[in-house]
Amino acid sequence: MKLKNIVSIVTITVLLVSCGQRPSVPTDATMESRLPKIYPDYTEVTIPVNICPLNFAVQEGETETVARFTFPGGEYVYGEGQKVLIDEEQWKEILEATQGKEIKVEVFAKINGAWKGYQPFNIYVAEDSIDEYISYRAIQPSYVAYEKLSINQRNITNFEEKEIYNNMSVSTEGVGQCINCHSYKNFKTDNMLFHMRQGFGGTMIVTNGELKKIDLKTDETLSAGVYPSWHPTHNYIAFSTNKTGQSFHTKDLNKIEVQDTESDLILYDVDKNEVSIISELDDELEVFPTWSPDGKKLYFCSAHFEYNNDSIEKSAEMIQRFKEVKYSLYSVDFNPDTKEFNNVEMVYDAASDSINQSVTLPRVSPDGRYLLFAQAEFGCFHVWHADADIYMMDMMTKEVQKLDPVNSDRSESYPSWSSNGRWIMVDSRRDDGNYTRPYIAYFDKQGKAHKAFMLPQKDPNYYTFYLRSFNRPEFMIEPVKITPQEFAKKAKEDAVPAKYADQ
Amino acid sequence: MKKYLKYIYLFAFITVAYILLPVMNADYLYTIQDNNVFINGHTFMMDTVQHEGGWGTWIACYLTQFFYYPWLGSTILILIWVAIYWITIGMFEISNKWSFLALIIPVLLLYHLLDYGYWIYYAKAPAFPFVPTIMVIFCLLFVWGGMSITRTWIVSWSLKGLFIIGMLAIIIVIYNWLCPSTPWHFNYNFRNSIKTTLTDKNFKHELKMYRALDEFRFEDVLKEMPTDQEATPTNLMVLYKNIALMHTGQMDKMFETNNCGINPNNPSDSLKIRTSLLGAPLIYYMFGQMNYSYRWAMENSVQYGLSFRSLKMMTRTALFNQEFEVAAKYIAMLKSSTFHRKWALEHEAWMMNSTHFIQSQEYQTLAPLLNEEANVLDGDDGLCEQFLLEYFSDLDRANTPLLETVTLCMSLWAKDYYAYCVHFYDYVNHHPNNPIPALYQEGAILLGNAEESPITLNQFKFDDFVANKYNSFVQDYHQLQQQELDEKEIGKRLKPLYGNTYWWYYYFYNDFNIY
Repeated sequence: MKLKNIVSIVTITVLLVSCGQRPSVPTDATMESRLPKIYPDYTEVTIPVNICPLNFAVQEGETETVARFTFPGGEYVYGEGQKVLIDEEQWKEILEATQGKEIKVEVFAKINGAWKGYQPFNIYVAEDSIDEYISYRAIQPSYVAYEKLSINQRNITNFEEKEIYNNMSVSTEGVGQCINCHSYKNFKTDNMLFHMRQGFGGTMIVTNGELKKIDLKTDETLSAGVYPSWHPTHNYIAFSTNKTGQSFHTKDLNKIEVQDTESDLILYDVDKNEVSIISELDDELEVFPTWSPDGKKLYFCSAHFEYNNDSIEKSAEMIQRFKEVKYSLYSVDFNPDTKEFNNVEMVYDAASDSINQSVTLPRVSPDGRYLLFAQAEFGCFHVWHADADIYMMDMMTKEVQKLDPVNSDRSESYPSWSSNGRWIMVDSRRDDGNYTRPYIAYFDKQGKAHKAFMLPQKDPNYYTFYLRSFNRPEFMIEPVKITPQEFAKKAKEDAVPAKYADQ
Repeated sequence: MKKYLKYIYLFAFITVAYILLPVMNADYLYTIQDNNVFINGHTFMMDTVQHEGGWGTWIACYLTQFFYYPWLGSTILILIWVAIYWITIGMFEISNKWSFLALIIPVLLLYHLLDYGYWIYYAKAPAFPFVPTIMVIFCLLFVWGGMSITRTWIVSWSLKGLFIIGMLAIIIVIYNWLCPSTPWHFNYNFRNSIKTTLTDKNFKHELKMYRALDEFRFEDVLKEMPTDQEATPTNLMVLYKNIALMHTGQMDKMFETNNCGINPNNPSDSLKIRTSLLGAPLIYYMFGQMNYSYRWAMENSVQYGLSFRSLKMMTRTALFNQEFEVAAKYIAMLKSSTFHRKWALEHEAWMMNSTHFIQSQEYQTLAPLLNEEANVLDGDDGLCEQFLLEYFSDLDRANTPLLETVTLCMSLWAKDYYAYCVHFYDYVNHHPNNPIPALYQEGAILLGNAEESPITLNQFKFDDFVANKYNSFVQDYHQLQQQELDEKEIGKRLKPLYGNTYWWYYYFYNDFNIY
């Protein structure tokens, strides 16, 4: 037999075998009157028209699985062991045909040799798209230690993930580097920043595509800039400055308290390299600044806290009275031309006796109508507070409501808006209480939030084996263009000290 | 005879390697694999291969897990060294007479493995027993391949060499291009720790005691503790011993069983030996401090790399804390390992069926220490032992008999007379008709009469033999003081008679350096 013939026979056999393995919907399945247990939970969720495939695993024991996706243009069937892995090209076809409508998903699982069918569920495809990119800090949910940290960017219309910066590119055995708090101006990456502590410390600021490394700590300020917010129209960044400590619960499952013993607000003028004070009141812990979309108001949180025990250090007193620290929401008017702040207003008195809660991380919707924040019983570090939930204020009516569709009985924190205001992303620990995962929820034109879904991954079991949290997930409409090597090169340079501008 | 020389050298090397590895250092090898991790699956593989020397590390992680059975792991490693020996002889066409030179690399690799000592806890490079071996064999095969390719080339040897080195450089450049954030770091520091590995008895005791404690074999922990009064155990051994005494109902014997720990022999200034890394997750776990145990397992896995040891500790504490989803996550990872699968399945069964968990030895042993009411917001500053001593000395809600014992013993251990007097007073009032253990009486006699004592304990009736012994201790002590001997000498002379009493510990053990 000639080689050509052998190759042909082998090819045909392989094709036949692979065709034979394509999943088909069982005809003899007995039907269950409940939804299938799938992970991540994508039942009855509303998704963007440009999101990547919603691959999932069926958790009905050791099974063979088949899922039929029926959409206006036809149907596709998938199934590989326990996983439902959707072809990316077919998925695009499904989304295009289903815009503004729903995909019907029927799941079948073979258990002990017999097929079972489950109650079908829908996946609603919104007409609105979502920003193509998100970025987040990949960090183990550790307490004090850190080693390998990276800020990553993920294209959420597919599964492509890249590092923006990895601290190991400059860390040495003896001197590590902690990176945190990445932030972008108007969802674009030509103006962005992140902060580095310890080895090669400084704030990496990209302004109009140019990278600088700045030392924001001045003699007159508490610390370098910590929680940032880019001004939407001018080249300013509002930061909090914080003296932060950590302590640990022996029994409480919240495990950690992160507390500021002192905190203030500063304004950094990027063009002039100048730092000025926004607020530094003695008995106030001001933190989490965020601009209104027009840049004429700065929202922030502040807790009134008076130290009353001179015999111990502030940090020790703070630990003793940790449940008394409650942050309310304020705003202050801002004139971008004169850089003047005035007229501080209480926006939401969360610390009042009637509410008795603590709000953090406010974010205003791009149209200025709504304000999201995280709320829990006390403190400022809600990622470790299981009772933390996302709330929303209607800025027209000042009415505050808990956003039930995005919340769970575990911690939700760090809310953010997509650039078109139709999608909300939150950090949630609903899966296991320890590792934060990004959840995305549709926010429709009527101001109603829909059931949140977990950021899809190519392998549905990815989150099970991934031991890092997704910290500070932020939307971006474009990828970061500066390479990790360029960031690393700049990181090794000395930081330029910022000047203090006395007002 | 000459033609067998290369076999004789090889046989001698294999014999020495077996003696130095599984025969003499089985616990050392076991601990190395326990501090290593290999998870079957895509996520772990991708996470490993994207770092420096990624594929080599991934293979090395796979092989390191075989040290779960030290003989098996050693055999695999020695076989690779044998291959290196033969390849070297073949490559350089070394004659029988000089074939011992081909053993230089295997001997250095053996030395490298044994040169870790306490560094086994601190080594950030994963799978270090196999990584250099894998790299060496890769380089040898690469050079051998290069020599085969260039054999027919009519150019000088130096040009051929340049070609081979150039190819290697290109591989490294391509690698750095693919993985820009993790460039190659070439460094190796001699750790001067081979002496620790081979001769430090305390180091070996610690390894054995940890494993026995981890497997709840408390009697084996106690057997491992040297009973000789002249022995100088480390603080960590004392801690392990006292945990074993606590869980066998003998904590009041802690001062009868050498409670005077010393710092470990540290061969290197650059090595800061900390209990937090050597055993804090297990120690906290054994004291029912689940959050702190979880914390240190997490911190250590972040700082020094994920390990089976950390995964198991995080699983256990999550089970006790009823954080079943996160426990399931760690169990899923352990289930995919080769040798820890059985452990994972057992703990999964506990997770699925709380009755099994409650009936388990682990739960039965630790449950009396779980004081749900006693949440404290604090920190240990990395000093696990000090935190436990202070925490239990200060605990004012000892709601189980075991916790009562622990608070009494820990306050004695910490020499916290104030806390001890309060605990003793409570203890006697809670058990008015029970005999008071001799240790508690020793403590009360000594501390109850101190001027600063918050409670006068004179009204208690102490057993005659305790009171008499105390009087004789005081008398002997004064006599020796009158001879103007220094405290160290007095302690030495009193040790044979009173070395097993709390009084001797209180007066003469003053080198309590917590690390």
